[in-house]
Amino acid sequence: MKSLQIAATGMAAQQTRVDVISNNIANMSTAAYRPRVAEFADLAYQQVLTPGTITSQTGTVVPSGIQIGTGVRPSTVSMQVTQGSLRQTGAELDIAIDGAGFLEVTLPSGEVAYTRDGKLNRSPEGEVVTSDGFALADGIVIPNDALRISISRDGEVAAYFDDAPEGQPLGTISLVRFVNEKGLEAIGDNMFRETEASGTPNRLVPETEGVGSLRQGFLEDSGVDVVKEISDLIEAQRGYELNSKVITASDEMLAATTRLR
Amino acid sequence: MTHSIYASLGRQHGLMQEMQVVSNNLANSSTTGFKADRAVFAEFIVPRGAGGDSISMGGLAAHSFELTQGGLKTTGGQFDVAVQGEGYFVIQTDRGERLTRAGHFQLNAESELIDSRGNLVMGGGGNAISIPDGSTRIAIAGDGSISADGELIDQLRIVVPDGQLLRDAGTMFTAADGFTDLESPSVLQGALEQSNVSPVLEISRMIAVQRAYEAGQTMLEREDQRLGQLLSAVRET
Repeated sequence: MKSLQIAATGMAAQQTRVDVISNNIANMSTAAYRPRVAEFADLAYQQVLTPGTITSQTGTVVPSGIQIGTGVRPSTVSMQVTQGSLRQTGAELDIAIDGAGFLEVTLPSGEVAYTRDGKLNRSPEGEVVTSDGFALADGIVIPNDALRISISRDGEVAAYFDDAPEGQPLGTISLVRFVNEKGLEAIGDNMFRETEASGTPNRLVPETEGVGSLRQGFLEDSGVDVVKEISDLIEAQRGYELNSKVITASDEMLAATTRLR
Repeated sequence: MTHSIYASLGRQHGLMQEMQVVSNNLANSSTTGFKADRAVFAEFIVPRGAGGDSISMGGLAAHSFELTQGGLKTTGGQFDVAVQGEGYFVIQTDRGERLTRAGHFQLNAESELIDSRGNLVMGGGGNAISIPDGSTRIAIAGDGSISADGELIDQLRIVVPDGQLLRDAGTMFTAADGFTDLESPSVLQGALEQSNVSPVLEISRMIAVQRAYEAGQTMLEREDQRLGQLLSAVRET
């Protein structure tokens, strides 16, 4: 009774879809979150009668044969590369990336991670850090007596003091671009890590070579479209139910067989 | 005397296989580019002894798939492409070229267009499609031509098979008799073709299969009783 197992793969696939959707909905307010989509592919086919099998001496062949499917599997859960809307916060160390690119972050272990979450802060030492306290790889240190910080669209950071009208340049925030952003490995806390599939990081000045610009005083909202997620959730739930009906029907067929004796 | 039992058993076996086809369709009701399967039954005539009598048995003879177009779902993904009307994308796998309608593509680390298993998607000249690194706007026009920042770079190869298609895992098909380029393809960027499985149809088929199976069981039971009665009647005389 293969239909039992086939329906089970169908239920497992829909379950995966619900898991992905629920994670998207849970992250509907996470800054710069990119929704994930589960995609499926069918499993190998059981060749009961191969097309092309010769059926007579005159050379006639089976035109379409019999191939019976064995179910479904999740093929990818891919990140959707969409730009979330920009929300004005007014905070001087909030930056949103308008376009492609990631901020480079140095983890405490010395490893490098990438994020689009531009909710930056000042550490006690004046370093520009993420909300988890990890320093930006650009190594910008803000002097203690700086009154105001400006970040230009192309990443120039300048500090203003009360004794001079001109800003003092502190450095540049660069953006990192990957050939295949979908290939990045999510490591949680809005951060990603480079993989074989993503290609090597390419550090660029904002607003050049296809990377986006920086917007000071803005944050990128989550890219989750709740209406779409809910309609997908309904679809997944119904799909799950349909597969469970197959299990019930297969069970009843088996019961009919066992009733024979 | 027992032919009716065998005829009915043959039917039961076929129904089990049909159930498998139905459950595979339902399991793939969310699979991008999936085409629903149909089991085709045929009659087998079995000669019975010298008298010229014969009995007919039913069995699974062939299968076909419904090549109707599935609904298009807008995803907005820049490398999500759906074929409208006839035509298939060509995928280069390690076992040869395969056709597919599942257009969920992405780039690999070398900036080439690949499918979700990492196989290369073929361009107009039977080559891999390279997207220039750093391009911001990738547009795929209705005829499959790909442009990066307004510059034409390649074209998606859209073909039609010359003969029958054979199924392969991963919503791919093998065209055993080869394929030819489609003259005027129509593709849509930012959309994916959904599975063409109709849940209503599949569920009603499933019910029909289940009931037919139960009817077959009843028939077997009756036949068993009839034979039992016959045997006891013979014993009494």
